[in-house]
Amino acid sequence: MYSRPKISFTIYAVALLVLLSLPIYSESNFIVALMPDGLSGSALLHVGILIFMFAYLGSSWNILGGFAGQLSLGHAAFFGIGAYTSSLLYVHFGLTPWVGMIAGAGLAAIVGYGLGFVSYKYGLKGPFFALVTIAFAEILRLLFLYFDFTGGPLGLLIPLTSEYSFWEYQFREKEPYYYIALGLMIFGIVISAIVSTSKFGYYLRAIRESEDAAEAVGIHSMRYKMHAVALSAAMTALGGTFYAQYTQYIVPDDVIKIALSIEIILFAVIGGSGLVMGPIIGTFLLVPVGEMSRVIFGGGGSGASLVALINENMPGGEKLAKYIDYLSSGGGGGLAILLYGVILIVVCLILPRGILPALNKLGAKMGQRDE
Amino acid sequence: MATVYLQALISGLLIGGVFSLISVGLTLTFGVMKIKNFGHGDFLIIGMYFAFFCYTLLGIDPYLAAAMGVPLFFGVGWVMQKFLIRPVLYAPETIKILVTVGISLCIQNIAVFFFSPDFQTVQVAYGSSTIEFFGARISLSRLAATGLAIVIVIALYQFLMHSRTGRAIRACAEDGDGARAVGIDVDRIYMIALGISTVCVCLAGAMMTPFFYISPTVGLSFTLTAFVVVVLGGLGNLKGALVGGLIIGVVESFGEILMPEPALKQVATFAIFTLILLFRPNGLFGTKLT
Repeated sequence: MYSRPKISFTIYAVALLVLLSLPIYSESNFIVALMPDGLSGSALLHVGILIFMFAYLGSSWNILGGFAGQLSLGHAAFFGIGAYTSSLLYVHFGLTPWVGMIAGAGLAAIVGYGLGFVSYKYGLKGPFFALVTIAFAEILRLLFLYFDFTGGPLGLLIPLTSEYSFWEYQFREKEPYYYIALGLMIFGIVISAIVSTSKFGYYLRAIRESEDAAEAVGIHSMRYKMHAVALSAAMTALGGTFYAQYTQYIVPDDVIKIALSIEIILFAVIGGSGLVMGPIIGTFLLVPVGEMSRVIFGGGGSGASLVALINENMPGGEKLAKYIDYLSSGGGGGLAILLYGVILIVVCLILPRGILPALNKLGAKMGQRDE
Repeated sequence: MATVYLQALISGLLIGGVFSLISVGLTLTFGVMKIKNFGHGDFLIIGMYFAFFCYTLLGIDPYLAAAMGVPLFFGVGWVMQKFLIRPVLYAPETIKILVTVGISLCIQNIAVFFFSPDFQTVQVAYGSSTIEFFGARISLSRLAATGLAIVIVIALYQFLMHSRTGRAIRACAEDGDGARAVGIDVDRIYMIALGISTVCVCLAGAMMTPFFYISPTVGLSFTLTAFVVVVLGGLGNLKGALVGGLIIGVVESFGEILMPEPALKQVATFAIFTLILLFRPNGLFGTKLT
């Protein structure tokens, strides 16, 4: 049992080295040969960026949803606040997103304090807190769609500078984004680890297990829950700025949608919420599976119209054959998310604490056998 | 001007009945087994696609299709309860919610995969016919949907009050252990409860098809609306869901004309929702099932 932390430490160190050196070899023959047909090393980097970003967002959510046990289903709101704050400051005032992201994080923290104050002041718990977070995110999305200064439904295009530069947080290649995202993820892990071992983290876990008991031993539960919302919100906002700079285009239906909130928590919960490495492991296991399913089954959306097919004048058997063709080319898409949904249900049913604790147990068993 | 408000009131009531029927399903599972089904609205599309295919493939009228689909809808709820909800019934709150979130993701994306994310419509001959009422227009299909919805809600209420199974369901809502102690098969009652819940929401979905578009993600906004109605009417309160549905229908409809932009109508709904949650968490009518 005592050797377990050391083993996982070695695994994490090796994994980090691999991730750090991946961009150097991304165009090497070896990697390109491993990649599915027609995909270059840059697609691999893109998947890497996605993984790091969602791992980071999962870590951010985990502080509130995992450590403190406050289920937020509206984290896309903070993501959107971060993305829009830094981008608007850049577009209107030319402020570098590096500073803008701090402003975004600060604003998200203030909003988080506000949301936490109102919710906890009136004793909202569990599903009701979750509902308020969803309602909050939806209101924000509708308002961002309505107002002109956000660009409304047309979205906000981040103007390209003539030359790509670090100062402008804009790059031509994927590599810089890759390293920034990796940095964000490590930042998320470090913050989580600090929170996890601090007094603050113990308070949060005490509140999660039993708020009444925590209050009884003198923990001001409302205050710490509000700190957790604010910290989690601020971290999520930094992720929003990264996304805005990476895609150079944001629109409310993309950055504040409920589906994003769900995706953020999906990986964290499947990996193991309330654990520092839970969201990271969950994301590293799931995103590649999802991306592979897109490659293998096709992204779907072949443009075939179901109604046109039904109304077409041909024998039923032929129609059926055409429909099966349509399905085998990926149908209308959605397989990746379907897979996530199935895995989420299975994990909830048989591994309610997540995959990481199960892996740890397995590792401990194998460690014992070795000795 | 008066006509505009009359029109808004009527339009609100006409969609409100459908909201009521959807919400009754949610409030029932809420009251009976304390499950907060975040996938509730997604069951709506099962009814919608069922009606859509009955109409496009076989030419069956959506209302007839709705009636024909009842055993299927009930079966879906029964199976969900048996295999997915029952195992987590005594798990922590978060796990219960996440299972329903998982169900929601599955239903949506099964629909995306098999039926494509495109919007579909059912264009029946009477879809756009209206009657005049003091200068306001009443859509016949909406009137039928809402009228039937209210009738179904009342029938369900009678069933719960007077039938043997209904009494057993109420007993389980009151006290699950107590119900078990007097010999009620609680697991079976729970399966019936989720079955009834899915029947309600699927019927609403099927009956909406003549005047509402169908798409895999349409359920989400109805999940939220149903939660708003349920919280407004009192958690697990059937009458509350009926009245709450009509209220929210009218609120949205007035929001549409009073807000600077029709799309902002839901801001009004969510604002009311948050206020009710904060200041009257037991809703307007209390939390008893009846």
